[in-house]
Amino acid sequence: MTSVAGTPSSTSDRTQAARFVPGQPDMWAFVLFEALVFTAYFTVYVFNRARSPDLFLESQTHLDLRVGVFNTLVLLASSWFVARCVQAAREGSFRAATTNAFLTMLFGFVFLVSKVREWAAEIEQGFTFTSDEFFSFYYFLTAIHFLHLLIGFGVLAIAVHQLRSPARRSQETIETCATYWHTIDFLWVMIFALLYVMR
Amino acid sequence: MTSTAGGVPDEPSSPLRKIAWHWRHDEKRELWIGWWTLVVFYNLYGLLFFVIARTQPPPQPTLAPSEIAQWFDDRRHGLIYGYAIVFIVGGATAIMNATLAYTMRRMSVSRAFAYSYLVIYALATLPGMLIMGVVCTVGAMRPDRDPELMSWLYDFAFLSFEGTMGVFLIGSLVWMVAVLLDRNRVFPRWFAYLNLCNALTEVVVAPAWIFKDGAFAWDGTIAWWINMGVFVTYTTAFLTLLRRMILREDFGTGPLPELARDEAQEPSGSLEAAR
Repeated sequence: MTSVAGTPSSTSDRTQAARFVPGQPDMWAFVLFEALVFTAYFTVYVFNRARSPDLFLESQTHLDLRVGVFNTLVLLASSWFVARCVQAAREGSFRAATTNAFLTMLFGFVFLVSKVREWAAEIEQGFTFTSDEFFSFYYFLTAIHFLHLLIGFGVLAIAVHQLRSPARRSQETIETCATYWHTIDFLWVMIFALLYVMR
Repeated sequence: MTSTAGGVPDEPSSPLRKIAWHWRHDEKRELWIGWWTLVVFYNLYGLLFFVIARTQPPPQPTLAPSEIAQWFDDRRHGLIYGYAIVFIVGGATAIMNATLAYTMRRMSVSRAFAYSYLVIYALATLPGMLIMGVVCTVGAMRPDRDPELMSWLYDFAFLSFEGTMGVFLIGSLVWMVAVLLDRNRVFPRWFAYLNLCNALTEVVVAPAWIFKDGAFAWDGTIAWWINMGVFVTYTTAFLTLLRRMILREDFGTGPLPELARDEAQEPSGSLEAAR
């Protein structure tokens, strides 16, 4: 790890970022692996959907597309704030970077609350994990994504912890945390497209 | 054969003498024994569960009681002899867990990580193979029992095996945190993240308790096949990294030295070379 405590925008970090990828390359291995695992989940979903298109279409109508769009916009906004956090840290504006990290958390929290409310509304209408195949996939995909989001709060806490003390600051670690958060966003966009939009 | 200044004779060239030489003089002897135990165990585990006992890939959860009685009858000898070997080699898990815990003791992290890992994986041996082995052996050795009872044994065997991945989840997370905190560079960081991937796929087997068919049942595409793909990747990764770690081991307390490229490809001065 290229830890450059106190000098987050140092030459070595910039060189590393220019030569490889933002943050630790190890985190990109995680992104690749998670993308493969989720691709496998999505393939299973699409395969099952192709076998019972009428059931999936009918069940899909019980989802509120507006809530899905709202969740997507909220998560995209959180990704935008984490990108601003990285940019501010690169420029040495650590107060702004910390503010943006907190805003990322806030929007992540809004997504979290919105998702729980959506689940509660679906359950109230009688659509549970075992109602039918579509809702099994709906709860499974959104719940596994939710779990990634919960881990994301821990990851952002690490970024904030790094930013708050000059002795700890590592641009690479902050970018690694941001990469994880973008992965959550990327996965959600795929889930949104498959569950809410695809007809 | 000549002797070096330290009184240790030079390594002989014949394979058997080489093994004997390493047995006597290799300072990494115990680590290589641990590594080979892991390799042999995992291969044997696959052979016993997939080929001899034929309990993996798992059968359908929806079989009728009469079909379940037939299922036990069809593989009676495989279950009895296969799981007899599983019980015999089950003790190897002590050596395996100790070797894996050693990696955490070599890290710059608290000993609590290695101890937690040892405890959780000692517990994992029960749902990971022993309960299923005992239950399947009972079913195979009492073929005259009521099919309803056989049906209960069948559910118990597969739900205890497929649906109890929580202990592996915690073990993976303990290893992940240890790797991330370690300053001795025992394992690369991507392995920590791979532990997280493995832990997350352990969660998705939980619906196997609810569903009897489809992607989330104990034989389902998501609960079993994808999970197994991740587990095989994870196991291959840690066996490869563990071998590399043993090659790098200098028995010090600081960062592990990196290997020269040719040393990583053709290890010498260890039991590994006797392969």
